[in-house]
Amino acid sequence: MKEEKKDDGVMAEEKPYMFWIWTLASTIFRLFLIFSPENINLSSRPEVSTPHTSLRRLAEGYWLKQSSLSPYAGSMYHGSPLLLSILGPLTVQRIEGQSSHHLCSLVFVIADLLSALLLRAIGQKLQKSYRMNLRPLGVLRSSQDRGILPCGDIAALVYLWNPFTILSCVGLSTSPIENLAVIVSLYGAVTRRVPLAAFGLIMATHLSLYSAPLVFPLIFLLGYGLDAPPIKKFLQTRHGGVETGSTSDVSKQEKLTPTTQLPFSWRTVLHFVFWVLVWSSYVLVLCSLSLKQYGGLEEMFKRTYGFILRIEDLSPNIGVFWYFFAEAFEFSRNYLLIIFNLYILLTSIPSLMFRLKHRPCFLAFAYLAFTSILKSYPSVGDAALYLSLWALFVNELTDMEYSFFIFCGYIGFSLLSPVMHNFWIWRGTGNANFYFGNAMGYACFQFMFVEKSVNAMLNHDQALKKATAEMTKNLAITVIF
Amino acid sequence: MATVNRDNVEEVKTDDGSPKIKPRPIVRLGIFLIAHSPIFSVVFSAAGVLALLLLPLLAKNTYISENALMPGSARSMLSNQDVSDGSKLVNDIKNCRLNHEGQGVEVQKLIGKYMSDMGAEVSYQKFHPEGNQFHPLHFFSGPDSYTLLENVSCASYGVNVAGIIRAPRGDGKESIVLVTPYDFINGGDYESLSLGIVSSLFSLLSRVTWLSKDIIWLVADSRYGDYRPVAAWLNEYHSPSFKVSELLKCDELNTADNFRRAGTMAAALVLKVDGRSERFEDTLSIYAEASNGQMPNLDLINVVNYLAVHRQGFYVKVEKVVSLLSSSWLKIFGEIFEAVGKLAHTLNPDWNFGIPAADYLEGSATLASSLYSQALGIPTGPHGAFRDYQVDAITLKVSPRFPPDSKTRQHDFFLRGARLLEGTIRSVNNLLEKFHQSFFLYMLTSPSKFISVGVYMIAFALLVAPLPMVAASLYIDGCKALTNSTHNSAGNFKSWKWLDAAKQVFALHLLGFIVTLLPYFICQVPGQHSPRNRSIMWGTTSSSLLLITFVTIPGCSLFSSRPHGTNWAVLKSVTIAAAFIGLCLMSIINFATAEIGALLLVPTCLMAQPIKPALRSRRVKSLLGAFCSLVLVTIGFPVIFFAISKGLLGEGLGGLSLGGEFWIWLESLWAWKSATYLYIGMVHLPCWLLCLCILFHPS
Repeated sequence: MKEEKKDDGVMAEEKPYMFWIWTLASTIFRLFLIFSPENINLSSRPEVSTPHTSLRRLAEGYWLKQSSLSPYAGSMYHGSPLLLSILGPLTVQRIEGQSSHHLCSLVFVIADLLSALLLRAIGQKLQKSYRMNLRPLGVLRSSQDRGILPCGDIAALVYLWNPFTILSCVGLSTSPIENLAVIVSLYGAVTRRVPLAAFGLIMATHLSLYSAPLVFPLIFLLGYGLDAPPIKKFLQTRHGGVETGSTSDVSKQEKLTPTTQLPFSWRTVLHFVFWVLVWSSYVLVLCSLSLKQYGGLEEMFKRTYGFILRIEDLSPNIGVFWYFFAEAFEFSRNYLLIIFNLYILLTSIPSLMFRLKHRPCFLAFAYLAFTSILKSYPSVGDAALYLSLWALFVNELTDMEYSFFIFCGYIGFSLLSPVMHNFWIWRGTGNANFYFGNAMGYACFQFMFVEKSVNAMLNHDQALKKATAEMTKNLAITVIF
Repeated sequence: MATVNRDNVEEVKTDDGSPKIKPRPIVRLGIFLIAHSPIFSVVFSAAGVLALLLLPLLAKNTYISENALMPGSARSMLSNQDVSDGSKLVNDIKNCRLNHEGQGVEVQKLIGKYMSDMGAEVSYQKFHPEGNQFHPLHFFSGPDSYTLLENVSCASYGVNVAGIIRAPRGDGKESIVLVTPYDFINGGDYESLSLGIVSSLFSLLSRVTWLSKDIIWLVADSRYGDYRPVAAWLNEYHSPSFKVSELLKCDELNTADNFRRAGTMAAALVLKVDGRSERFEDTLSIYAEASNGQMPNLDLINVVNYLAVHRQGFYVKVEKVVSLLSSSWLKIFGEIFEAVGKLAHTLNPDWNFGIPAADYLEGSATLASSLYSQALGIPTGPHGAFRDYQVDAITLKVSPRFPPDSKTRQHDFFLRGARLLEGTIRSVNNLLEKFHQSFFLYMLTSPSKFISVGVYMIAFALLVAPLPMVAASLYIDGCKALTNSTHNSAGNFKSWKWLDAAKQVFALHLLGFIVTLLPYFICQVPGQHSPRNRSIMWGTTSSSLLLITFVTIPGCSLFSSRPHGTNWAVLKSVTIAAAFIGLCLMSIINFATAEIGALLLVPTCLMAQPIKPALRSRRVKSLLGAFCSLVLVTIGFPVIFFAISKGLLGEGLGGLSLGGEFWIWLESLWAWKSATYLYIGMVHLPCWLLCLCILFHPS
């Protein structure tokens, strides 16, 4: 279904107002689901709200805080204290005649809309740079830019109409806010608003620890600039760019910097680091103020980050860790915790960082997808985020292999998950293995999705390189004659 | 990441020295299957049907899996005194009903008095027979919370009586339930016999010292059907409502604050006595199917079957489709299998899979009945209400061989019936945990033979195996065709050509979803409408929605003359993929529905091809193919299939009455929250429409 809406994006290219119609429709659809009388009780689904993102737990934490207890007392709430101060009052407010939580749902709808608009802005930037990069390479010789899809519109619509996003928005989970923070940081970096990027990063990391590795793509974005084909190809085509007489910014920049290395603007990065320090100290101060009577920052770190890293809540979710740690012996638990957490860090970050240095936004997608497979409390909201970031690269990923197979797998496993849960919990004829098997299958398909996407991106770069080499050869021949 | 792909292949140098990539054996096997998909799809489908026919042969004998049950190891303690207590109750009820002519709650009070005399805690419960309500979103969310209607009248309500014996060795946290449905107004003589049996047993159980689980005896007021009172009582038991019901004021019987509970239920037995047995022995029929094809643990059936056959000498049977017993084609199959089995036995004496043709017929008739009731998803008795709360329960229907007024025979009958129940309760009483050891997913071919999930899934897997193969091969063909035909911007989208087809499939599935929900709104239409009118309303709204879909969504239109729409091969490939996902999902929710659905849907999906080229070519083969697919598509339409199956059962229907019948049938499916309804609306109907689209594809 995510792909369905891709085509709506194509429609949006023809008629610009179509985008706004679809955006409005998605908002109305959300509101309809929120205010519909039939209560489908999404907030209790393990796929939608995890112990870390559940709004019901947040309401509980707020209630504890109101009665002068630590919000973290009793292992109910594990989120950020700032979120508690913002969303907490909304959980007790009621619109007349309606049940509570409706105000929070409205906040989530607004967060989703904002995320979509920011994604659209990111996409427009990326599309521009894609065009800039292709033109000097001579691939787009007709230069009508036919065939370049408006990836911003597509990504925004994929985000808005993805059933995963809708579920997590309607299902009272705080993941729309987390996703918004991640998208804000990317937006800030893409538009080179350094303080905004730093703020987004700090907020995302504060809300969910797993956004921390995003610091690498952000630094690359600020240092090297937007996604581009790798450096060698640029150097080969510098002549080409000059000869075709392109007046684009990129080729001008090339003329000005005759070094063999891509320019890395240390100043911006230092600026970014400075702002990261500022924002993080600011957030820490706010948190410590908010938790002064209840154990301060130490308690917060223990109950939020500690809770994430130590995988304390073993209730079932669509991830793969809960089952391992429910089965693991107590004496090997610490060892396994270290192994599993390091696995996320060491397998994905360095290798991807070196391969995809030139494509920081895509790197961010790969990180997010990777962590959403291997994080301790994943939900469909995480999948929603990386799927829409993936849609930013529809132009580059046209040759992705097995797309239909992966699509069917996603649909199959997301439908199978509630059935297996029903088997286990309600009917009693299945057991935890059924549900976990489903989670494993889902994880496999996600891995496959990331792998095929990265592969397609690398192949795309290869193809560009080949095209460039051919073109330079042709140019050389014309120069000789 | 790129290296991962390299790992899958080993490089082999060919003659000209260039490295040729040779895929792994499993990949080669896949490619081979896809390349020869037409042959393999025929082979696999035929094998699937054959495996289904072979299932009675593959049935295994049941065995008691949980050692703690130990059925029949203790001597029965039931005395003649207990039995005469039971007989006395039956007589008293008879007299009481003669005196009071079916008014008030005198009979209930009488039963309550008997119970409390035996030392049980008695409670009465009033309930309202709730009408059928369609909740489209409540399908998979456990038992409903029983909503009290606002304006309940005293005109129609029932009163259940429940007595609880506290176990001397128990802690009150577990219980065993005995249910006897009894119509207090116009129950027959046979029905009251079940009260006699359970009363005899109850009188024994109030004295014994070995009980470790409380015993609940529920006399369910079955004047509004068997199921409803049991469901109402269970709902009150598990989720009490704190509202004061209007029903309390209806008569002098005060039922407020006296509902008794006794912990989680380990098992439940529903006992019914009906008409005379046709056989020489007393007959015991076992009914086990609960909603959505759920079955109780096989051990419960085993225990009852073992005790009934080996201790009390009942003739035990399970439901079967009688008309199949005389079918000649099944008999031929049975004889063939018998001959093959004999031949195999002569070749190797260890091969003993042959069974006599008569057994085969019997087994298939039972299996067909089992499949049918599981596929409908409607429980076959009041035990279905227990399964919603994860309690294993079965209904035992006993038919005595004597007329109801024979006193001497009655004594013997009570003794044996009560001993059977006593033995079963004693076995369940031994359990330390819930039933878990034996199978939950199985089908019975006789009371002592079963087919487990691992065996019957093979038949289904073979049947649906062609779908992914054909989908893959069509996908490859379709993509090639698209690449050849278009040279413009579509060339950019090498791997996303299926998007258009997916859009169409998605649109029709969405339509199916809406059509599925429509009856909910039609039921809300004010005024009294006959089922026929409602079905007409449903039909017209659905078809107008279909028309709107065809007009608004480009690609979807059935009869458009645009030659370069979506390629039909890709469309068919996506359709088949959707059907495959739907069928696999359904096979997990309710196997029987998926099996029957696959028998219909798989050939239709595989055969569907545009008929225009076939008509143009005028070759016999292609015309035959087009004709076959047309016939299959016609049969595949749910209403027509319903009419055909009705016709096979010997009830001729036609025209508008068919619509009414169909509506009533669907209403029964909603009332029992049967997933079959969802399957028909959200998998079968969209796939059928897509097949229609492919048939009339303008290519």
